[in-house]
Amino acid sequence: MNRLILLALLFFSIGSISSNDEKIIFNNDAYPFESETKELLFYSLLIELRCPKCQSSNLSGSNSPISNDLKREVYELVLEGNSSEQIKSHLVKRYGNFIIYNPPVEPATYVLWFGPFILVFIASLIILVIRKRVTK
Amino acid sequence: MIPELGHIILITHLILCLIGGTMPLLAEYTGLKIFQIPIKKLSVFLFLLISISFLSLVYSFLVDDFSVAYVAQNSNINLPDYYKFAATWGAHEGSLVLWILAMNAWIVGFLFFTHAKDRDFLASVFSISCQVMFAFSLFTLFTSNPFERILPIPPLNGADLNPSLQDFAFTVHPPLLYFGYSGLLIPFAIAVSAMLFSKETKEWAAYSRPWTLFSCSFLTLGIGLGSWWAYYELGWGGWWFWDPVENAAFVPWLLSVALFHSLITSQNRGIFGKWSILLSIFAFATSLLGTFLVRSGILTSVHAFALDPERGLFILGILAFFIIGSLMIYSIKDFEHGEDKAYALTSKEFGFLLNNLLLVVLAVSILFGTIFPLIYEAVTNGKQISVGAPYFEIILFPFAIGLGLLQGVALYLSWEKSTSFDFVSRLLIESTSIFALIVLVLFVLFDNLYLNSFATIFLASWIAVGTLQVSKKRNLGYWDFLRKRLSVTLAHLGMAILVLGVGVVSSYSLEKEIILAPDDSIKFGDQVVKFESIEDSLGPNYFSKKAVISFDDGKDVSNLITEKRTYSPSGQLTTEAGIETEIFKDLYISMGDNLEDDIWSFKIQIKPFIRWIWLGALLISLGSFLAGIKQIRRLA
Amino acid sequence: MKKIIDVLPLAIFIGLVVVLFSFLSEKDDQLETVLIDSSFPEFSLKALSDDSRILSKDDISDLPALINVWATWCIACRVEHPFLMKLKEESILKIYGLNYKDDKNKALELLKRDGNPFEFSIYDFEGRLAIDLGVYGAPETFFIDKRGVIRERHVGVIDEKVWETKFAKYLDE
Repeated sequence: MNRLILLALLFFSIGSISSNDEKIIFNNDAYPFESETKELLFYSLLIELRCPKCQSSNLSGSNSPISNDLKREVYELVLEGNSSEQIKSHLVKRYGNFIIYNPPVEPATYVLWFGPFILVFIASLIILVIRKRVTK
Repeated sequence: MIPELGHIILITHLILCLIGGTMPLLAEYTGLKIFQIPIKKLSVFLFLLISISFLSLVYSFLVDDFSVAYVAQNSNINLPDYYKFAATWGAHEGSLVLWILAMNAWIVGFLFFTHAKDRDFLASVFSISCQVMFAFSLFTLFTSNPFERILPIPPLNGADLNPSLQDFAFTVHPPLLYFGYSGLLIPFAIAVSAMLFSKETKEWAAYSRPWTLFSCSFLTLGIGLGSWWAYYELGWGGWWFWDPVENAAFVPWLLSVALFHSLITSQNRGIFGKWSILLSIFAFATSLLGTFLVRSGILTSVHAFALDPERGLFILGILAFFIIGSLMIYSIKDFEHGEDKAYALTSKEFGFLLNNLLLVVLAVSILFGTIFPLIYEAVTNGKQISVGAPYFEIILFPFAIGLGLLQGVALYLSWEKSTSFDFVSRLLIESTSIFALIVLVLFVLFDNLYLNSFATIFLASWIAVGTLQVSKKRNLGYWDFLRKRLSVTLAHLGMAILVLGVGVVSSYSLEKEIILAPDDSIKFGDQVVKFESIEDSLGPNYFSKKAVISFDDGKDVSNLITEKRTYSPSGQLTTEAGIETEIFKDLYISMGDNLEDDIWSFKIQIKPFIRWIWLGALLISLGSFLAGIKQIRRLA
Repeated sequence: MKKIIDVLPLAIFIGLVVVLFSFLSEKDDQLETVLIDSSFPEFSLKALSDDSRILSKDDISDLPALINVWATWCIACRVEHPFLMKLKEESILKIYGLNYKDDKNKALELLKRDGNPFEFSIYDFEGRLAIDLGVYGAPETFFIDKRGVIRERHVGVIDEKVWETKFAKYLDE
């Protein structure tokens, strides 16, 4: 068991990365935007996109190196004027649907999206049918 | 020696559970006196045993006995004593012992506070509970023995408790949650016994109701504390992530709420007997299922325990044995389930039915969404998908609207048929006024209006007015109100406050990622945020970078301290968020990465009304606990 | 009289247990690779060994080839290093390196010390090509066939066994 954990650590050891190579140009705003719409889009995407390396976290909640890279990628795509859909499909092409917390609506997910409402409908019908009515 | 003592006592507990789990049923079916055992005394004795076993584990932690593998993995010489104590339940093995302890405590409570004339029925409940405890003890001893020694050469120091668990809320959150989960054992055992003995619905529902309420109360508090902990400890400032482990706790909570509402109907009207039995079984099943999902490693999660498929198999076995067993009784045996009574669409019965329908379908949907990624992967041959917050929020919304609207009118309804509906217009007028008032206050406070928060704000006003008006209408004296209406008023009002908090925090929150050097400042909402200073600091088992950041809104200046801690034994990093709590909002900052020299990235957030969520949860928990006590006193 | 509806909960629950049981047995942590069967992405990045040399997709010319994502901070990369050296020494196929979010000097030092299995290494400090490849850690290895199409991806250490089971078959095509 311990050896397994060690191996897992070896496999996935994105550790600390020293960055004396390239100086980072900074502004007080980590992701400056000229328009508020774009800023809102950016932060809403960070909430919807999943950090691919973390066990369970979105980009907004993660500071891992890959999250920071993906944030930068999203930032650049937003700056270029891409829409939310375009950015998501850009990332899905690379990482698969795993990267979005909002599953796509497709035949394989119909049951996920419509199941709850169909279930409510069926259950309501059953209740209305078996209910014993008040007789006058 | 002490760990061996704990080990032997745990084995004794196991054997006595086997006796307690079989004898009373043998006595019942053979009618032989020799099988009769004193169940009250046995339950107390069992409780003493499991307590001693648990305490011997606590002792091993406190004296740093690293020859015990579990202690070595989860503690460290430099760990503060309080966390050594809490580390006892910080990982899988110890938490199981605590779980058994909690089940045992509930059984003792049930036997001592239930004054049933039918001794055999009590014996049966005790017996089924013992069987479940036996299964858990067996599981602990065979796959997750916390007393296992590392021999011959024990390590000199332990690996340390996971640093993000070294925190007050975390030390309290798991025990509450385990008490909540395990409390559902009692309604389950009652439901199975009710089928075996063909108990009258009204009678067994009355026995079951207080324990369901207690269980719900503990679950609410446990989940609420967990959410609070995640908010300040994980550093991302969220309060609910729809993570598999969170969902695994949320589903039994939903079912326990559905169950005690259904039990009200069963107890008062003698109907919904079968439904209440099914709900009791499934509420317990989902609490076991949650354990399975968290500890088998089939779902990845931030809170996941050390993963082991063998343990998963064992828990699945326990789940299958008890739930399939009880459902077989349900499907085969002809038991008493009350007569059918008529009720109109405007009756209280129908209200409870709708409440149950929505809660149960919601629970099923959340459970399904949680395991759906696995199903999807199997069906599409390896394609992967994530089902997270955006999905669950879309699904939850219509259910929340339905439940909220129902909750606002529910307390006005009468059994069989409601005759007067004058309350509707008053409710509409008053809740619209309250809604307008809240929106106005929000506008004054935050200088902004968000249309998407209107639905939840209205719902909160609707529930609050619906709750308070009824209590007023009943015209109860002060004392009578405290005695009769306090619990339901607290719980329903708590829900209104929670809904309001959720609605406001999800639309009025601000967040930004910033990069600051000392003395830099940035404008954020109506605040000027300034990086005052940074210093090195040393804790008992960590060293940290401590940054002081000031938030200045023109009137007050608050200094927030956020830390990046490196825990010395494991080298693990944690972020301590800096939070300033005001009545209407939290200011929140968490430290990100060190970019160069003293330049750091930070995430800053303003979270309006977030405290209201936990205040609401606290009231719900308190309300259901008081309701449980009220039911017990009624039974006495 | 018992009705069908009374058996329904039991049936549903047994179904659930069966499904959960099947999940227990089959579980691997590999992320799906969306890029399989699509051509290698375009890029323009510096060479690790030479700042003035700008590499692009066309420089990966000797196909089929492996693209190996590596870094000095990645301990597992050192584990697979000897195997990569062996592939090179036996001239089985060419390997191109993608040096991922690394310190340039340390990386060059390591290649000098332990040997260089790569034709060249692309220096991807910002993880740009890595994102286009859907990389989420190191080491990762991609197989590019004669037409420049990605055929297989492996996350984690590549060794004899992984090579035989996952990659070797594409060499014979």
